[in-house]
Amino acid sequence: MKWKKLGKIFDPTKYKLSNDCVEFAQSPQTLVLDDFVRIYFSTRKKDANGKYLSHISFIDIDKIFNKIIRVSEKTVIELGELGCFDEHGIFPMHILKDGDKILAYTCGWYRKTSVSVETSVGLAVSLDGGITFKKQGAGPILTSSLHEPFLVGDAFVRQYENTYHMWYIYGTHWLNLPEDTTPARVYKIGHATSDDGISWIKEGKQIITDKLNAQECQALPTVIMFDDVYHMFFCYRQATGFRKNKDRGYRIGYAFSKDLISWTRDDSNVGIDISENDWDSDMMCYPHVFSCDGKVYMLYNGNEFGRLGFGLAVLEK
Amino acid sequence: MNTFKWKKLGRVFNPADVNGPDWMNEFAQAPSVLVFDKFIRVYFSCRPQPDANGQYVSYSGFVDLNRTNLFDIINISKNPILPLGNLGTFDEFGTYPASVMRSGNKVLVYYGGWTRCESVPFNVAIGLGISNNDGESFEKSGDGPILSYSMNEPFVLSGPKIRMYNNLYYLFYIAGRKWIVSNGRPEPVYKIRMASSQDGINWTKADKDLIESKLEADEAQASPDVFFSEGKYHMFFSYRYSANYRGKEKGYRIGYASSTDMVNWTRDDSKAGIDISEEGWDSEMISYPHVFELDNKTYMFYLGNQVGRHGFGLAQLEGILK
Repeated sequence: MKWKKLGKIFDPTKYKLSNDCVEFAQSPQTLVLDDFVRIYFSTRKKDANGKYLSHISFIDIDKIFNKIIRVSEKTVIELGELGCFDEHGIFPMHILKDGDKILAYTCGWYRKTSVSVETSVGLAVSLDGGITFKKQGAGPILTSSLHEPFLVGDAFVRQYENTYHMWYIYGTHWLNLPEDTTPARVYKIGHATSDDGISWIKEGKQIITDKLNAQECQALPTVIMFDDVYHMFFCYRQATGFRKNKDRGYRIGYAFSKDLISWTRDDSNVGIDISENDWDSDMMCYPHVFSCDGKVYMLYNGNEFGRLGFGLAVLEK
Repeated sequence: MNTFKWKKLGRVFNPADVNGPDWMNEFAQAPSVLVFDKFIRVYFSCRPQPDANGQYVSYSGFVDLNRTNLFDIINISKNPILPLGNLGTFDEFGTYPASVMRSGNKVLVYYGGWTRCESVPFNVAIGLGISNNDGESFEKSGDGPILSYSMNEPFVLSGPKIRMYNNLYYLFYIAGRKWIVSNGRPEPVYKIRMASSQDGINWTKADKDLIESKLEADEAQASPDVFFSEGKYHMFFSYRYSANYRGKEKGYRIGYASSTDMVNWTRDDSKAGIDISEEGWDSEMISYPHVFELDNKTYMFYLGNQVGRHGFGLAQLEGILK
């Protein structure tokens, strides 16, 4: 594969954002419409204790990704009530056009004490073309289970031959390492299927092999089918030291499958890597691959996990 | 049908009365019975001293009671039946309550696993452990829960009671509905729910409240204990007001409902037949009923004041449940 970088297309510090958010435009996810592309992302505000809350916003951009037409003015989706799985943030929110409905698979965050956070996947529906979303329940549709004990999130859903497929991540360990002040999490990519997009059966295994080591963290799978092959992009990093040390930070990985069952990891064919001295020169993360007007694009975040926005690349084959 | 008549036999076990292990300092909550030839093993949940911040963890253990004299304690578990969970897991800070059932040569335990949260004090999900030594100790089936949150059961899945009827496993449990803030403190409201399973591992939730609320819409319902007798399913459970429930007036009482299909229940607390005492260890509240049959008699273990801080007691039914 070969991707051509088109540069950063959105900088959240240059716009007024809903929910009093400043900075961060993480994990861009698209809804491709007739005349423009709506790109949802997670942005942040600080609560009374100075801790971050992630909120969803969107921009509408023309189909050559040149002109931002609109920035969401109001709350796209409410955070959860007291004690709910999405009380402290939604990040990311993945969109699926399902017939005439627009579904959102949210990754809800809430804070814990011995470890920083727990996540689960929720479901919301939009009845106004994707401007606002209403949750389908106070609780999640996919969460921890016997062998996926925590940190279920980052859902990406597609329907192939009448079956809904979800790729997502789940936690395997919280590492209590002496050099760290807070426990570090390890998570892997999993897969579940569903007849209705609501009730899911987990495959129950890690589907992408580790490359770095057993503590490799894998996140945000995105899948697209072309040339009769399913292509998955995701990001991966070392479990520790990934925030400051460029060599341990997120990179984009790649795997392919012909049957949606077995995946072959082939990062050498990913066709995109960090730049030199640019907005994406320290890390690349949270890829989202989609097609628009016959081309295949990748949205992704760069340095500081998307604090200063997201960029775009186009597939050249 | 008339009201059941339970004759209170007194308190059976108070952790303060025995020189038990450190982890069994106080509390003996949620009794659950396993019957052996010469004794019955009563599982319960208890706590060591709180930590420097006043926070508790909870463990589950058991006492063995002489089958011919249930007030004769013949053995106390030396160790907790389950370890606390690993860092970040659902049961890192507690394994409470526990419900046991034999399955061939094994004993199964379904238990509430406790984790701590920032905005609310805790969350709970249901775990599974398996014993190969007659219930002395249990091995967890995984690091995660066997029954966890879902769209209409967003948090606090606790109080599991495992049963098997007609070759199907049934879990009666509670699910949190909302957290209300009372006197500056978040308090959970929960309702009684049910799930069924063919293997005890993969569960299908009934996804409905089994028991209508009586006190108020936010009535909290707990410990649904189901017993089959005379062609009917009998459920004893506990219920309380949503706020200021730590005293006599709004604290736990024992309610009753019956069903022929386990899905549709008729609540009739007037039949429960057991209430708080005038004075003594169960004069302010009674909760966590557990009904069992032994040598042709029907008994109920239950908790008294401060939800079992000072142990559990026994009552005997006059006649049978019907």
